[in-house]
Amino acid sequence: MRILNRRKNTIGKAEKAPIEKPVLTGEKMQSISLNAWFGAKQALKDISLSVKANSVTAIIGPSGCGKSTLIRCFNRMHELVRSAKMSGKVLLDGKDIYDSDVDPVLIRRRVGMVFQKPNPFPTMSIYDNVAAGLRLTGMKKGKNLDEIVQRCLEHATLWEEIKDDLKKSGTSISGGQQQRLCIARAIALEPEVILMDEPCSALDPIATAKIEELIVSLKRDYTVVIVTHNMQQAARVSDFTAFLYLGQLIEYGDTEMIFENPKNELTEKYITGKFG
Amino acid sequence: MTRLLDVGLEQLTVMVYKSGEVAENAINTSLRCFMRGKDATDAVRELSDVLGTMSVEIENKAFELIVKYQPVASDLRIINSYMKIAYDFERYGRYAWDISFTQQKLAKVDKCAVSSELMQKLVEKVSEMVGKSVAALKQHDAELAKSLAVTETEVDELFLAYLNQLSKVRGRSKCVMCNLLVSRYLERIADHTTYVGEAIVYIVTGEKLSLR
Repeated sequence: MRILNRRKNTIGKAEKAPIEKPVLTGEKMQSISLNAWFGAKQALKDISLSVKANSVTAIIGPSGCGKSTLIRCFNRMHELVRSAKMSGKVLLDGKDIYDSDVDPVLIRRRVGMVFQKPNPFPTMSIYDNVAAGLRLTGMKKGKNLDEIVQRCLEHATLWEEIKDDLKKSGTSISGGQQQRLCIARAIALEPEVILMDEPCSALDPIATAKIEELIVSLKRDYTVVIVTHNMQQAARVSDFTAFLYLGQLIEYGDTEMIFENPKNELTEKYITGKFG
Repeated sequence: MTRLLDVGLEQLTVMVYKSGEVAENAINTSLRCFMRGKDATDAVRELSDVLGTMSVEIENKAFELIVKYQPVASDLRIINSYMKIAYDFERYGRYAWDISFTQQKLAKVDKCAVSSELMQKLVEKVSEMVGKSVAALKQHDAELAKSLAVTETEVDELFLAYLNQLSKVRGRSKCVMCNLLVSRYLERIADHTTYVGEAIVYIVTGEKLSLR
């Protein structure tokens, strides 16, 4: 089967998001004075953070500090929660994704999400899990779809393990394989940014290592933002690390610097386990 | 709350401080006997061997802490630096023994150092640097550690001046040969004190600077 060049693939007849791109600053996404609330409770306070293109940015911090809320603001999933609201800006290639002329559905296609618990569609086969999003965009069954499914599964380093079981249920494979299937499903829609919310927390060390290798390889084609509770994981896979505490961005910088010589005492205390 | 890592770090710290004391003792014993024309080969050899063993034990302990706790930030800087410092202390011990051995082989009980004012100054400066390096370690004093750079420059100048002086000496006496070698060992010890100083600065500030 011939593998298509990812950049040449047009994903069926779907239209591209109406957002001009790119802004040549090296910054793929940027939050500017971002605040978020759940009802009266403020979850994010004045977060200004830049996410560099083709890099892995890790968001770390204790439970409830706003990590997940932050990345959910990055693809407008925060607004799906009743009582949730936000202020400030989130730029994708320099364009505010919260502008009135921007379609949130298209934003979620450009900024994909992988969740903590692997969540393949339980009634669908492995193949259909990857193809589902593409079919929604209008792509029909056929050689082109087959090629894209294979390419995505290869990209997610899953193809060799399941190529003979494509018709089996997406939930019949191991947890680690399911998570890679979810990553394959996400990249099938050719996102530019992939958000990962604790993608390894439900996996064993071997499956975790595979996902981590995958994350590092993904940055060649995508911009990755990962929320993790695992400090060593952040150190291993990310180029940049942001530390959040009580909804505030405490420190952001090169991962090596954050884990070797953090500038802020709170960061030092958190990453060395001296908190509380 | 005490972290499990803290217990290990405490043990590692005690080991490194003890190593520093032994290293200082080895240098002082060697230099004192060199100045007085006394043979300290056996005593210094014993101390040097102890330092070699301690260096291995410190390295093993450091590896254990890294494996068990994957330390980061100041914890990692301390463990990494203590491994380096333990090696430098081992080198202190080895050079201390080299000095005693050279004296014993070439000059026996001659008070060779007394013949040269420059050599006496070298001995004083290096002895001071060794003391400062151990004190800076125990106090985690980055400023004291940085001050070693100044003395190291003075030692280099003294060493070069002494080489220049020796090059003009006619003939070869055992004392000249002994002092030539010892001056080189002293210059190397001074270098290692600055390595210790650099490690201390790194622990305290996270800066990677050169004191040479």
